[in-house]
Amino acid sequence: MIRLLNKGFKADFFRQTAIAPLIVFRIIFGAMLLYSILRFIMKGWVETQYIDPQFYFGFLGFEWVKPLEGSLMYIPFVIMAISALFIMLGFFYRMSTFLFFVCFTYVELIDKSNYLNHYYFISLMSFLMMLVPAHRDFSIDAKLFPSIRKKETAAWHIGILKFQLAVVYIFAGLAKLNADWLFEAQPLKTWLQAHHNIPYLGWILQEEITAYFFSWMGCLYDLFIVFFLLSKRTRPFAYLAVIFFHVLTWLLFPIGVFPWVMIFSTTIFFSVKFHQQLLNGLKKLFKWSESIPEKVNDISVLRPFVKYGIILYLAIQILIPIRFLAYPGNLFWNEEGFRFSWRVMLMHKEGLATFYVTDKSSGRTIEVNNTDFLTVRQEDQMMTQPDMILQFAKMLKKEFDGKTFSNSKQSITLRDPAVHAEVFVSLNGRSSQLFIDRKHDLTALPYNLKHRDWIEPFKK
Amino acid sequence: MLKRSIGFVLVMSIGLLFSCRDKVDNDDNTDFNKGEMLENVSANIIIPSLMKFETEVSNLKSSFENFKSNPTNVNLDNVKTNWRESYLTFQTLKIFDFGPIRNIGFKSSTGTYPVDPVKIESNISSGGYDLAAASNIAAVGLNALDYLLYNSNALTEFQNNSSYTDYVDGVIQKMFNETQSIVNGWVGYTTVFNESTGTSSTSAFSEFVNEFNRDYELAKTAKIGFPIGKANLGLSNPEYVEARYSGISFELLEESIKALKATYNGDDFENGSTGQGFSNYLVHLERTNLDDAINEKFDLILSNIEGFTMTLEEAIDDPAMKSQLDELYLHLQQQVVNIKTDMTAAFGVLITYQDNDGD
Repeated sequence: MIRLLNKGFKADFFRQTAIAPLIVFRIIFGAMLLYSILRFIMKGWVETQYIDPQFYFGFLGFEWVKPLEGSLMYIPFVIMAISALFIMLGFFYRMSTFLFFVCFTYVELIDKSNYLNHYYFISLMSFLMMLVPAHRDFSIDAKLFPSIRKKETAAWHIGILKFQLAVVYIFAGLAKLNADWLFEAQPLKTWLQAHHNIPYLGWILQEEITAYFFSWMGCLYDLFIVFFLLSKRTRPFAYLAVIFFHVLTWLLFPIGVFPWVMIFSTTIFFSVKFHQQLLNGLKKLFKWSESIPEKVNDISVLRPFVKYGIILYLAIQILIPIRFLAYPGNLFWNEEGFRFSWRVMLMHKEGLATFYVTDKSSGRTIEVNNTDFLTVRQEDQMMTQPDMILQFAKMLKKEFDGKTFSNSKQSITLRDPAVHAEVFVSLNGRSSQLFIDRKHDLTALPYNLKHRDWIEPFKK
Repeated sequence: MLKRSIGFVLVMSIGLLFSCRDKVDNDDNTDFNKGEMLENVSANIIIPSLMKFETEVSNLKSSFENFKSNPTNVNLDNVKTNWRESYLTFQTLKIFDFGPIRNIGFKSSTGTYPVDPVKIESNISSGGYDLAAASNIAAVGLNALDYLLYNSNALTEFQNNSSYTDYVDGVIQKMFNETQSIVNGWVGYTTVFNESTGTSSTSAFSEFVNEFNRDYELAKTAKIGFPIGKANLGLSNPEYVEARYSGISFELLEESIKALKATYNGDDFENGSTGQGFSNYLVHLERTNLDDAINEKFDLILSNIEGFTMTLEEAIDDPAMKSQLDELYLHLQQQVVNIKTDMTAAFGVLITYQDNDGD
């Protein structure tokens, strides 16, 4: 990693470099955010994911983050759309990036059943964009306040964005170095055969060797693409590979805007010259006046807190994805230390969770219909993830405590119920096996970051 | 760095060739094509069952008209027979709750139970009712007819209360119109269905898999689970029994499970000859064990159902039958993991349509 930082990103964080790549990235990033937010609203997902559910799976320590009442939930999305537009235009840039970061992160923290790696990526990138001066040229801010104009900027302003992209790719690649991916070609074997009806190409996709080829190539791509993008000589080919790879995943899998985010974001690896020419072209198109003399560079002093802040951020980004090493057992099975680690399109997990609420005094039991309380998506996510199973069980206890059940002959009121679950999970094309045994009263188990020994061990 | 990377790529590529060599040859699994399966299901199961249902509902309608002009017990029995035939065929049709069937909410407007007799009686006495209203969902369809044709006062009501007769007329007419609309809908939808083989959750194939599972679970929960009190601390609820007044609930359950089994295997609706179904897809994916397990479970459930010689309501009321009912429910429950978890996972079908990154 040290070597990578030295060679790839240049240890000299404060060296002055042309600001053009940062300006171009701001425009591209703002446009992507705007598109993604509008798409999310238009698809009706604000409704289905943040208004319809009765219950939300908060993140540990962030359970206090709750959605706004009813249609008010559209407010953060409207703020995000406006601030994304402002980011693109460079208008009230610092305020816009701050608002976007806060609203986006707020929305993501509401319910972990909506967690996607690319949302986490957007959160991190908008946080970083908030810290860098990407508005100091070709922006409304720079038009209004010419004194902020700069031709150069500190190297870390661009380097940290490249670092973030490198983290995504390299950890995604490392995550693929597992037996299922490399030696069973799973889950790709399952996903690709499902496309066997595609005209002309379908027959190739259901061949086993295709799944192996895609698995190995995908792994190599993720591990090494950043290095090929960094080297001037290989960059054109590498970028073609970027386009090919992501367009292919976009065609085959329902991964939304993520492929486009990566295709556009990786332009930051292009040469300074490329960005300057692009920027000059844009300036000409919009009749940008360069007449006011611009300060050439930012005579910034090397402030230690910035330096240590950067080092801390880099360290965190490297440590979070490897925190899984602190847990025993199979990572895909237990999912301890799984999120925030760039494990994308890595496993196919299908579960069936039946919850039983038991009246301790009479021993009588209710079989729960999960969809009485959860949306289809929430149920689907919950059934394979132990922390969510636990959260749901605790929610059921609250829901059923004190409820009265009766028929024409009898009436029983549930007090302090126990909640058990029998869960079966199928991982990467294997037959389903017992995941959670019905013997545990889930309401008595702690919800924390410690290893969950109540998960049945994974059998090969 | 770069040179080393290229070297690594080469090494890995060679590794790839070796790792795959032994896997390529044994590719002797059976041919399967989702498009052919969908064609078989629409041509030999959905359309024939729809045609049969259409005939039966129109028989129901004409027999009721005959009964209206001559309200005798014999003619009422004739109506009941046609109702029963329609209800049995509906057990196949209700699996396919997508396309034209879903568009008009046919599954719920035809098959909702428990029926709400209070609502029906108040509709009849007040007169101003709209059978299409959502509030009347438990006062229309085959279960409303179960009450209207089989309750102990039925014949007297028919003979003396024209509002009662009009209500039944309205319920039958509604079902008749909706059936016509589905028959027309499937004329155009058949091609769409046959060609929609993709993996997105809105493709016909995915909808078919998901609705197959939903229908199975509904059979498990609503036909047996609710009545025996699975959601009610084991306190039984006979008022939840399907077709409570005619007492044909076990027949309906048996027919529903048979229909699900036949659909799973792609069997022809009319003559039972085998065609392409989920079963063939699993065999193609080298999951023969799972396929066997599913068929064995279906058979076990069917033989369990045959073990009941009384109505479901009588079985519920008889404490001696409790363990037999629990056993039936357990078998119904154990099949869910086979079809909903293992089968769906093997097919690579998605349940939700939101963005996904596979975790």
